[in-house]
Amino acid sequence: MVTDRTAPTETTILAAEVEGLLDSAEPHGVFRDTRECGAGLLLLALLLISPPTPRPKTDER
Amino acid sequence: MAEQAQGAVPLSAVIADAATGVALALRGEGDPYAVSRILRQGDAASLAALRVLGADALAPYALDHRVCPGGDDEMVVRQALTAYPPGTDASEVSVWSYRGLVEASHSYLSGGAEPWPQPPQAAAGWVTADPWPKLAHRVSQLAALALPGLAPGLADDLATRTDDLARGFVRAVRRRDWLQAAGVGRWLSRLPKVPQTLGLDAGLAFVRQMSDGEPRVAVHVAAAHRFYGRGW
Repeated sequence: MVTDRTAPTETTILAAEVEGLLDSAEPHGVFRDTRECGAGLLLLALLLISPPTPRPKTDER
Repeated sequence: MAEQAQGAVPLSAVIADAATGVALALRGEGDPYAVSRILRQGDAASLAALRVLGADALAPYALDHRVCPGGDDEMVVRQALTAYPPGTDASEVSVWSYRGLVEASHSYLSGGAEPWPQPPQAAAGWVTADPWPKLAHRVSQLAALALPGLAPGLADDLATRTDDLARGFVRAVRRRDWLQAAGVGRWLSRLPKVPQTLGLDAGLAFVRQMSDGEPRVAVHVAAAHRFYGRGW
């Protein structure tokens, strides 16, 4: 009689996969917080428009 | 991902094919539905897919027409219940999903000679204990139980957290997690007193559109529309 020796192994592997699919972790979300984005943009704008840091003059004529 | 036998079709593909068949049947399209036609008896991957889909594999039988379960349908469901029972260390979601499949078998495949197994006890403490984002995630995993008449106790408990589920629906849409959004939206369709300001009908239509035809999302949206008249 021919028996399928792979069947129990396949079922065991699939059982673990079934459990994983049934109770899968929440995927990483792709969303942006508008307030955080606004604050970041404001900070970037302030950095761009700020005058350069005053430095002491080294060459005396 | 689990190891696949050489040449075997991935389980995710079998699930997607079966879910497509369920969604078509719920929309009243395609051939008359038979679970044994889309998920074969004795095929380990088909039985595993049936276990993952849970009660959704029998959802078309909850409709009044076009479908008529036969002996082969009963056999394939019995095989899935036997092959993939929840183990001793199984998650609560797994136990609830199994329970949903058993309850659906009792409700929709009741004409057979042999009795179905009794539904296992499933803990429900998480319904009140979980914070709302976790609750929404878990409820979306159990969207198949949002069929008419199934898990009435769970539906009553979830009705006390309708506002939290509405928050979860919005959060899932913002995270572009379409499967979770569709699952939570489907449960909200079953619950009374959903806030009008949520815009559930337009939300479900948006999720369907944005999911790009993902089969399990299609099942949830079709079920919400067919059984509870929500979405369009």
